[in-house]
This record gives sequence, C-alpha cells and structure tokens, in this order.
Amino acid sequence: MERRIFLRNASAFVTSLMLSSCGGSDNSGGTQAVTLPTTPTPGPTPQPTASGVAKARVIVVGGGMAGATVAKYLRLWGDSIEVTLIDKAQVYTSNILSSLVLTGQRSIASLEYSYDTLRSTYGINFVHDEVVAIDPAATEVTLASGARLKADRIVLAPGIDFDAVPGLTDSGVMPHAWKAGPQTTILAQQLAAMPSGGTVVLTIPPAPYRCPPGPYERACLVADWLRLNRPASKILILDANPQIIVEKDNFESAFTRLYAGIVEYHSSVAIDSVDQASKTLSTSGGMIRGDVINLIPRQKAPLLVSKTGLANDATGRFASVNVLDYSSTAASTIHVIGDSSATTQPKAGHIANQEAKICADAIIRSLGGLAPDPAPITTSACFSTITMTQASWLHAMYEYNASAKAMQLIPASFAASAGWSAGDYKDMNTWFGSLMADTFA
Amino acid sequence: MANEMDCHGRHYLRHFKRVALYISTTALVGCASLLSLSVPSTAQSVAVSPPAGRLLASNCFQCHSISGKTSGFDSIKGKSSNEIYNDLRDFKAGKEGNGLMARHAMGYNDAQMRLIADYLAALR
Repeated sequence: MERRIFLRNASAFVTSLMLSSCGGSDNSGGTQAVTLPTTPTPGPTPQPTASGVAKARVIVVGGGMAGATVAKYLRLWGDSIEVTLIDKAQVYTSNILSSLVLTGQRSIASLEYSYDTLRSTYGINFVHDEVVAIDPAATEVTLASGARLKADRIVLAPGIDFDAVPGLTDSGVMPHAWKAGPQTTILAQQLAAMPSGGTVVLTIPPAPYRCPPGPYERACLVADWLRLNRPASKILILDANPQIIVEKDNFESAFTRLYAGIVEYHSSVAIDSVDQASKTLSTSGGMIRGDVINLIPRQKAPLLVSKTGLANDATGRFASVNVLDYSSTAASTIHVIGDSSATTQPKAGHIANQEAKICADAIIRSLGGLAPDPAPITTSACFSTITMTQASWLHAMYEYNASAKAMQLIPASFAASAGWSAGDYKDMNTWFGSLMADTFA
Repeated sequence: MANEMDCHGRHYLRHFKRVALYISTTALVGCASLLSLSVPSTAQSVAVSPPAGRLLASNCFQCHSISGKTSGFDSIKGKSSNEIYNDLRDFKAGKEGNGLMARHAMGYNDAQMRLIADYLAALR
C-alpha cells in the first residue's frame, strides 16, 4: 500500500522535475580565513642522523591512495628523506570495489590493506593519531595527543568530507557508504533486510565528488542484485547533476534497457532535507520515500584543510594547488594531493596515485634545488560494474598546459568501452590488484 | 556488445602470451633495481636530475607490476627499449585492438614513448 502511494508520487515527481533547474544546493560552510605567509618559508635545518648524513623530513597526513603512494615514492625515489605518515586508521579500507560488499560479492576484510610493507620495506614511520592543526609558517603539525611534529614539507592527503544534510542526525539511517567501512556494512545490511517490492533510493551529489562513475556504477550493481534477489523492487536515482556526468552511453543504456522497470533515473534533483522517521527526502522535485536510502551528500575537503586556510578554490571547498608539484597556492611548503585538491582532474584513487608520484618527484627535486618536471602526465583509468559479472572501462589522461597552468585532458586518450563484458570484469580485478600493489606493496 | 569486448580481450590475451616469458625471469630483481635508482644522498645534496622518463613511466606501474611481487597485467620489465617502444606504437596504431591500453598509448607522443621505453629497459 505504501509502495503504491510512493509510485504515484514518483510519477508526479517526474513531471515536476521537468521544471526544476540544476540546483547546486549551496551550503556556504564558512571557510575560516587564516593569515598565511606570502613568501616561501625556509625549511628547518635537517637534523644529522647517526651516520652524520642530514635528512630532509616530510610529513604525510592521510594513508589512503594518495597519501600511501606519496610516502612510498618519496622513500623509493628519495632514499635519504625521512617520511612520517599520520593516520588514525591501522589499515586502509579500499573504496574502490566496495560497492561489491552491497551485493555480498566482497567482504570488507577483502578490501583492507595493511601498512606493514610501507613500514618494513620502505622505512616509512607511522603515527596512528589525528592531526588537529597545521602551522604552515613553521611547517608543523599538532596531533590530537598534543604532540607536535615539524618537517621540511607537509603533504596533505585527507580525502573528502561531507556537507551536513538538514534533518540527518544519524548517518546510519541513510548511509552514504562513500567511505568504505562501517557505513558500507550498514547499507549492505539494510539492502539484505529489504523485502521484495521495496524501493531503494540513491542520491548523487553535485560534482565534483569522489569517483565520478561510482554512484552510477553502484546503481547498476544494486539493480542487478535486486533483479536476482528482490523481485519487483526498484532503485530510484536522484542525481543533483543535470545529466549523467561520465560514461553516459554505457550508464544510460544500462538504466533504460538492461534495467528497464528496475532503475528510474532523475536528473537535477537537489536534496533539501530529510525526515529520518519516515525515511523521506524533501527534494527540489518533491517528497520521496524509500525503504533503503543511500544518501551521498555533497563533498568538500576535510575541516583540517579549510581551517588551515587552504580551501581557497573558487567554491571555498577544495585546495587550489600548483599541479607541477601540488603545493598549495596559499602555503608553498604544504602540498595537497588527491580528492582534497581542486584541479581539472577527477577525484579518484587511480589518478590520486599518479598525482602522488608527481608530488613526490617534485619534492625530491625541490629538496635538491631543482624545479619540478615541467611536463607531467596523469592517468585516470577505472572499471565500472554494470552487472554483478560484467564491467565497462573508462580511461583518460591529462597533460600540463603551461599557459593555463592546469592539467588538460588529452582528447585521444579519452574513451570508454563500447558496452560491458565478463572479460572487462576480469580485467577490473587485475587492475585493482595492480593499483593497490603500486600503492601499498 | 559482448563480441566487441571479446575481440578486445583476445587481442589482449595474445599480448599476454608474448610477454609471459619475461615474468619468470624478472620476478626477483625488480625492487632492488628501483631502490638503486634513487637520487639524492642527502637533502641538501648537489642537484642531480632524476632519471629521464622515470616520472612518465610511473604511469605504467599503476597496471603493470615492476616488482614482480604481484600479478598484474603483462610484465613490462626485461624488454629492450625498442621492444617496448614498438609495443607502444602498435597499441597506439590500433594493432592491438581498441581497448584501454590502446587509449593509453594514444595519450603519449613519440618522444614520450621513447623516454618511457628507455627508462623501463634500463630497469634491472
């Protein structure tokens, strides 16, 4: 009965959507302005080691795809550099492939990566604590424990944080599952508990957000799982963007043909607030109720970045950087890589790994008095699960454009697979294993 | 749809076989050689440029293991510079199908492919 009401609402909803515009619901979460030095501050004098050789010191904040890679390559390519990685977590849980936990095809444990090799083989120091403050002028971080650590350079790779959603006080009610871990498990449990004939709602935030194809991929995967396991169920996609933002041919084909009658896709839908008790979303297109709601909020660089005064792009949400070395445009000895930085490149683990190598190479050169490589290239490659057994791929490369001072898409490199296949699903697993090895092994 | 993908996959597999022989011979030497290439001996050392092609070639490492410790796509170690360069040219020209690696090769110009090939060939 409830579902019938919902479906009637849904068709009214479609009509009202035609009139709504792309509402980039703006939450002006005020960035705290901090006075920063306008000229580069000289690094501290390196401390002599036991062997009498002076070592430069680099602190890396965040042990995800970007942070782990920059730490590894600083040691691999710059053996004399002392690298300390700070992250609360004892292991990294991969976001990549984590939607497969929702269908029961992967466990969280299978996505966990230990820091042991980085510690033992590469000699990286680990501090499992949280950075609560950064002093750019002193190139110093303060930990939650109260300890202070000083270095010649600081690399920030803290990933993303989410905007608050009005009405959502318990993130377990409408999990985002956009950072793999407990949230992923909660969403998997909610899906497993949903009866046949239920409605899943997945919301996609306005770009830029982490992993552009990710929500569309997840919708396909969940649709396939519903088809097989919860007959007569639907998944409703509410996209804040005016259209599918990436790999449109494949996702559109999947939504309208492969999953006709299961997937309903609506563009330009902004989520204004939620009612937890009734599991209802108040949107720019009307009220929407779901049995399971995967609410992925709008994203920004974490508070640490903004309170240090580094979230200085046009939106005040991400950190502007020089993409030759990923130094902050607000503080030259602080580098920001991965999803927290504002560049023309997508926010995703694969390209974060390459941004990290450019950053590591540039820091090593800089410590030796050399300019960064003037012509870096980055790669963004990924696979999307269109079904539980078949995948598509997407590939793009970026090169430095000196006049724009930005990474620019190389058009010839940009393509997606024409459709999806079991072979690409197999390649996806090979790609994943290899990328994770390049980052953690 | 599936046929196109199978076709692409077949091209890929052919390539795997061609290079599979190298995997066993290079498995044990990867990591040590990379470590030996690291540059500055002290933080304030006299500036020494990193090996040409190293940063570019590190794009390869995302999908191709150079340490031999993990299985990835076909190994890119233990080949001559010309061999790697010609492989890249074949991919770029579409002779190895229209898959992801073809698109990757299409992202490089000739000079970049030479730099990558020279760097990878020098890895021991």
